[in-house]
Amino acid sequence: MAPRSLWNGTLAVGEVIIPIKLFSVVQQHRVQFREVRLSDGARIRHQRVNSESGEEVPSAEIRKAYEREDGRQVVLSDDEIAAAYGPRTKAIQIEHFTDAAQIDPIFYERPYMLGAQAGGERAYAVMRDALERSGKVGIGRFVLRTREQLVAVAPHGDALRLYTMRFADELVRSADLDLPAMDREPTAKEMEMAERLIDALAATWEPERYEDRHRQAVMAVIESKAAGREVAVPESKAPEPVPDLLAALTQSVEQRRGHRGGAPAATKARRKTPANKPTPGSKPKPTAASKTRSGTS
Amino acid sequence: MPNTIWTGTISFGLVAVPVRMVSATRDLDIHFHQVDGRTGERVSTRRVSELDGEEVRWEEIGRGYDLDGQVVVLTDEELAAAAPERTHMIEIEEFVDSSEIDPAQFDHPYLLLPGSDAEGVTRAYRLLRDAMAKTGRTAIGRVVLRSNEYLAAVHERDQLLSLSTMLYADELRDASENDAVPPRELWAPKPAEVSTAVELIDALAHDFDPSTYEDRDRTRLLEMIASKRTSKRKSESSAAREPDEGGTQAAPDLMAALRESLARARGG
Repeated sequence: MAPRSLWNGTLAVGEVIIPIKLFSVVQQHRVQFREVRLSDGARIRHQRVNSESGEEVPSAEIRKAYEREDGRQVVLSDDEIAAAYGPRTKAIQIEHFTDAAQIDPIFYERPYMLGAQAGGERAYAVMRDALERSGKVGIGRFVLRTREQLVAVAPHGDALRLYTMRFADELVRSADLDLPAMDREPTAKEMEMAERLIDALAATWEPERYEDRHRQAVMAVIESKAAGREVAVPESKAPEPVPDLLAALTQSVEQRRGHRGGAPAATKARRKTPANKPTPGSKPKPTAASKTRSGTS
Repeated sequence: MPNTIWTGTISFGLVAVPVRMVSATRDLDIHFHQVDGRTGERVSTRRVSELDGEEVRWEEIGRGYDLDGQVVVLTDEELAAAAPERTHMIEIEEFVDSSEIDPAQFDHPYLLLPGSDAEGVTRAYRLLRDAMAKTGRTAIGRVVLRSNEYLAAVHERDQLLSLSTMLYADELRDASENDAVPPRELWAPKPAEVSTAVELIDALAHDFDPSTYEDRDRTRLLEMIASKRTSKRKSESSAAREPDEGGTQAAPDLMAALRESLARARGG
């Protein structure tokens, strides 16, 4: 069964035109709530009203307005906004290719899946295999709904994926932040212990081992409330930073080692314990080192 | 300075590092107000009960869940009870190879910054940052944001700890569920076609430089706004454009199209 496509068009690489369909990849399973009145559970409706008169405004009368720096308001219709944007082409135009490894994943905004339209299967398969073999991704642009997007096309298994991309100026740089000085280098011993601890906690990435326990916990809260039981709201305490960094590291490495039943700490073998089970004793204990905390800025 | 959206600690082993979290992205989208087209006056949103049309104040709004026809009402505090111990803590569960993670699992990027300028805090932060930079590994843990628990990946980037919320593996659709994805066993391309396509890819390859791309639609929209008079005169270009036709036909001869493209890529 093919899910419904979001967009049909072509993937264009030079003279090679591949008829494709665009599909969503993400299917979120979060528990969905809606706004209700606490007193009786009545549904909430969002009413759009004129802020002067308080009268409801019919949706046909609603326009968008942009407030310019001089304080004056520019009123725009959806048609005018659509006309300001570039032409709505029906092609994903690949402009060039780049090494997949050069792209920091932070630039990938949202993933989609590409499928082939009837007749496009062969060219699709050629592009997928060629991208896979070259280790590259295609960078291009296309218009999704009304807005032009920068996109990357990359192979993933049998499919081609398309990622909409963030622009460089949309990312916060550390130079833009007001950060405390961190000029004190860790000691060699601290680094060694930290690396050993990282090695001790190293595991092969197996995404399916992580399940959404929270979804189950939320459903349990809902069912408990439905049964008329009161939901206990626990207080949470933030742990304090440890006063002796090296001692804490050394102790952590030793605990991990003990946890493995004497196996060398630096093996990268898959751990046998489920990762989502808290390790005994691994919770930081609150200490009396409150003098090292001067509150968050 | 971006707003702090979360404060707490990130812990690995017995070492707890106080941190605060900010978004790693800036919203540069052009935002509009809604106005009443007849008068130009602002439109605001009023929350009313569907039952009686009464206005409902923000403090009186809860989260409703439809459980077999019964509406169960929860407060934010009750919902937070589903993940109590992690509300202010990210406990690193394991360290994995960064390259093994499917980038589609990354949801929203954030930055973790030192929680204060106290020496104990900055030292522990820097140690974790430097050790992670040196090993090149990504830490996996969980974080509770706005009463939702997320799987999170933390790694060193640009001298800071970068955190990305993640989608669970079962929240990504698999290609095998989609008929439109040509399976390899049915559509094995000819080696000559793939080699020629690889040549074309290499001919069109260059380094990735994110600063060379601009959001052209953002620029176009800002230009239109700047040029538009503040009166409500309808702009001449307001007729919505038709999508241009482009080619929607597959190239009849794939090999010929690949060769033609390759010749152009090399010639230009």
